[in-house]
Amino acid sequence: MKLPFTHLTLASGYSFKYGTALPHKLVERAAEQGATALALTDRDGAAGAIRFAKACEEFGVAPILGVNLSFLQKKYRVTVFAQGDGLGALYRLITSINLSEDKLLTYKVLTSASQYSSQLILAHGVESQLAAAINARRSEEAMSIYGAASDLFATQVLDCTSHLRAGTGPYSTTYAARMLGFARDHNLPAVLSNAVRMLDRADGPIADVLDSARKLVPLHHKHVERSNSEAYLKNPAEMAWVGDEIARAAGERNGNRLLADTENLAQRLRLSPRRDIGLGAIHLPHIKDPTELRHRTRAALSRYTGELSVKAAVRLEEELETVTTLGFEPYFLSVAAVADMARARGIRVAARGSGAGSLICYLLGISGVEPISQGLLMERFCSVLRAELPDIDIDVESDRRLEIYSAVFDRYGFKSDKYAPGDNSSTATVAMVETYKARHAIRDVGAALGIAPMEIDLIAKSMPRIRSRNIQKALENLPELKSLNLNSPMLKMAISLAAKLDGLPRHLAMHPCAVVLSDPGLLDYAPIEMNASGYPMLQFDKDDVEAVGLLKLDILGVRMQSAIAYALDEIKRVDGVDVEIDQIPLDDAPTFDLIKSARTLGIFQIESPGQRELVGKFAPDTFTDLIIDISLFRPGPVKSDMIVPFLNSRQGLKPRDLIHPDLYDVLHETEGVVVFHEQVIQVISIMSGCTLAEGDERRRKMGSPEGQIEVRDWFYPAALARGYTNSVIDEVWEILRSFASFGFCKAHAAAFALPTYQSAWLKTHYMAPFIAGLLTHDPGMYPKRLILDEARQWGIEIKGIDINKSDRNYLVEKVLIDGDTRAPYAAPDLLSTGKSLSLPDARGYAIRMALRDIAGINDGEVEGILRSRPYLDLADFVARSSASRPICEALIMVGAFDELHQLDQGALNRRDLLLHLQDLYKLSSTSMRGTATNQMVLGLTPPPLEASGLPALSSAEEVRHELDLTGMDISRHMMEFYGEFLNHVGAVRSSDLIHKRSGESVLVAGVKVALQMPPIRSGKRVIFLTLDDGYGCNDVTFFEDIQQSSGNLLFSSTLFLVRGEVRRTGPRGISLRATQAWELTDSYEKWRNLRVYEPEHG
Amino acid sequence: MAQVAGARVIAPEGEPLEFIYKGRRFHVHAVVSRWRESGGWWNRIDDGRLKKGPLEDVIFDDGGKAIWRVEAAPEGALATFEIELDEITGKWQIRPTSRPS
Repeated sequence: MKLPFTHLTLASGYSFKYGTALPHKLVERAAEQGATALALTDRDGAAGAIRFAKACEEFGVAPILGVNLSFLQKKYRVTVFAQGDGLGALYRLITSINLSEDKLLTYKVLTSASQYSSQLILAHGVESQLAAAINARRSEEAMSIYGAASDLFATQVLDCTSHLRAGTGPYSTTYAARMLGFARDHNLPAVLSNAVRMLDRADGPIADVLDSARKLVPLHHKHVERSNSEAYLKNPAEMAWVGDEIARAAGERNGNRLLADTENLAQRLRLSPRRDIGLGAIHLPHIKDPTELRHRTRAALSRYTGELSVKAAVRLEEELETVTTLGFEPYFLSVAAVADMARARGIRVAARGSGAGSLICYLLGISGVEPISQGLLMERFCSVLRAELPDIDIDVESDRRLEIYSAVFDRYGFKSDKYAPGDNSSTATVAMVETYKARHAIRDVGAALGIAPMEIDLIAKSMPRIRSRNIQKALENLPELKSLNLNSPMLKMAISLAAKLDGLPRHLAMHPCAVVLSDPGLLDYAPIEMNASGYPMLQFDKDDVEAVGLLKLDILGVRMQSAIAYALDEIKRVDGVDVEIDQIPLDDAPTFDLIKSARTLGIFQIESPGQRELVGKFAPDTFTDLIIDISLFRPGPVKSDMIVPFLNSRQGLKPRDLIHPDLYDVLHETEGVVVFHEQVIQVISIMSGCTLAEGDERRRKMGSPEGQIEVRDWFYPAALARGYTNSVIDEVWEILRSFASFGFCKAHAAAFALPTYQSAWLKTHYMAPFIAGLLTHDPGMYPKRLILDEARQWGIEIKGIDINKSDRNYLVEKVLIDGDTRAPYAAPDLLSTGKSLSLPDARGYAIRMALRDIAGINDGEVEGILRSRPYLDLADFVARSSASRPICEALIMVGAFDELHQLDQGALNRRDLLLHLQDLYKLSSTSMRGTATNQMVLGLTPPPLEASGLPALSSAEEVRHELDLTGMDISRHMMEFYGEFLNHVGAVRSSDLIHKRSGESVLVAGVKVALQMPPIRSGKRVIFLTLDDGYGCNDVTFFEDIQQSSGNLLFSSTLFLVRGEVRRTGPRGISLRATQAWELTDSYEKWRNLRVYEPEHG
Repeated sequence: MAQVAGARVIAPEGEPLEFIYKGRRFHVHAVVSRWRESGGWWNRIDDGRLKKGPLEDVIFDDGGKAIWRVEAAPEGALATFEIELDEITGKWQIRPTSRPS
């Protein structure tokens, strides 16, 4: 007969850097062994609880939950179990510990949390204080420990564990037998467990590496916790054998009683995954009056007029019906409340994701996209058929995101300003499980094994951010690792071990943007800890939170929103205009002309080299086009070649195929190609006659191969019954099927398209304020120097850092247009399209460089400088600004005192100012010694500022200092110095490239601004290099043939000279296919050397 | 169990019953204690016992051992021995031990 055995103590990988196996694997193995229940008792937390419960449900095993807590200054450990409906008490005990001063379980914490512990069961295991007292033969002490705990806990047991270690210490049979003997002598309950931390006996080395990584010491017998490999999930027969061994050592005939008592306790501790752990529950915030949703949205309908207003009214009632049926009113009202809170503080808010498909979201002000005219569907977001909480994400200004956090925490129940949750708190941030990836794994293993840091570094650095399971493959493909002997036993061992760490959790981090809004019982549903940033954080991640029905709201900080807000403030300050950016018409022709010119640097979502090429080919004319553009530019459509048929049809190269007139309305905007989820839903609905909600259910099913077959078997008869012919259905089905895996939610794309359009509009009409916003908040992918040069190219003046004029951020100034003003970029009038674009004229404005971008300056120094302005001269600045000496030097070097000291008159230069600074500091240090005060001495005459006769800095030197100190070439573009050389070799300016024929071979040059390796259809590596030459960007493609010769150069150098073939891809789409690349400075030096010798030769 | 080079131990179900020590056959009367040991694999990485081949097949020589302390006798007085099984190679070792149990 097979006896059952239930493991009561088990540390999974969620005992961070201790347990070696994931809960799912452990539950699977237990089920294979015939277990009907299994406990998870992770160390000091319950981050694995929900995954464990899900796995238990999957394998039909009853979950038992406990936590193994370190006790009394980490000297001891005890295990505490939940029983019945007491899981909330266990969570609250964990939370109490985490909020206590030392974050450790002490008698003091236990006493104050006794209302929770009194519902829980305490197990004194092999590492407990009680076990130590028993084994030290201090019976009275042991009994007093037991006595003290019996006031605090519902029940106690002694938990005997033998790992068959030699000797008589913890984990030996003798130690366990003494505990059992004590229990029998004093008539206390005793059970058997195995203190599991591994899945298999062979996992010992992984445990050792984790011990070493946790303790930050190399592998050594002193540091590893095991002396054998018995801490694995033993099967019932093996456990019975251990039980016999302990029982016999304690003087019993066999372990039957011990095993039976273990099963009895296990029976009592079993939890129901749904009733007790809360899988599938829903806990929405409490709302006083749910009908508020109806009132608010109906009132907001007034913003519709004309034909749309009827449609909107009908649709609103449908949506309200759905929401009321689901009882989700609190959900929508809570999200709206957060959006309102943000807006009340003047923070920009925009919804992202499928929520933009809901009219309710639009009317509540959560989303800014009008859903009806854009064909966005509520059903994609939320329907009665899918009774799960929909996901709304809101984007806010990145630098004000934490203000919203504070507002949320203030509102939803905190007892103090330190955000420590009170008993009825209903909000917290969400955790994110950081797992071992290749890089971390190889580093931790390398450190444990004591491998030379250089070698490990080399491997770790060349490791792409992949799962560690693929390490070997990754290494084989890397030429830079050829020098390492990857077959040496040590490296092999290291790599193999690293692969075994794959996917194990390392620690919990705070999810960057999620907060949970719940009813006041939140602390019963999840344990909380305070994270490093001082916010309360659930120990559950987003999947866990969803599984137990907590409303998660993602509040994402979007730098572009900050940049837009900044631009609006600057427009108001400089031009006195209040721009209502959320009310601008979405059909502004100059805005689309700018987008079509592909000069989209700085515009949200469409500034990357690939997107610039795509908008050049696509030439978007409407807001809908923008939505399509954003949807097309993703790996899926690129891989499946959706883009080509779309563009062909769009550019009139190939007439579009209309499969059936019924589908015209749904598909015509995307040239007959299926791009959006919403289109799939509608096609299914039209051809089968089902509702949109059902249509979305079928669409979701098509994600799996089995689901596809199921949907097909339903779709064909349904469509035939409605009179569609077999050939039409075949064709439609083929499109739906091939589309299933990579469609895009149109609502999501539309939500993204709004800031795209808004930023394009600002760039078109208020270029200088917009670029000042970009420079201040740095939202994009490019270095700031490129954005700065973009401003220069459109005729905006760049004004250097000035000690009396520069602010913390980038300011816009009005200037006169004169002969020195650079003519703005103008798009060539292309005969091929017959259309010329009207492009903005940004002249008449300047951007003043900001103090914050000086290397090494801190906020305090900026504040100090601004507070004491204006300054009379350098001496005055040194005396009053509190800026450090290196910052003073940096300010001089970037020209911040040029105007104040009228350096343009030529009498003095920056070198003189530096010498003067030296004198000033000499004075202050001597006078300080004399007066022994820490203040600058007032009333002392500063040394005179005199011309030293040293030459002024050359303009090249000035630019070099600017680059060193701000990362930007401010006074002129750094390529200017190579102008003569580039003219000599016949290099082409990027702005002239459009005049070149396809296939022509040209030379281009520039500063590297981006290097990308995007996914590509064939799976081969293609490198895209973007070069800025002061006239725009050159986008150069390196295919595999040329990567061999230029690969290293591309990664290591900054300035390039490239020969390539011109490729024309659309009206304004142009790129280069590289055939050779050089480091520009090398070529330049060679050329200069030649020139120096030329006269001699000539 | 197949006899491997090393001491000869008869252990039909994994538990030692008889063994040959210095040419004499001993019968195990009682197991005094049994324990297991392993670890220290990191000190043996370079000793050549690592299996060659793809990384997935790398074997960690964790030095797993099972040890029995037994009382055994051919005839006459009982003596105490430690019997050790190297679980990687299957080799047995026998050590007389002076300590009583």
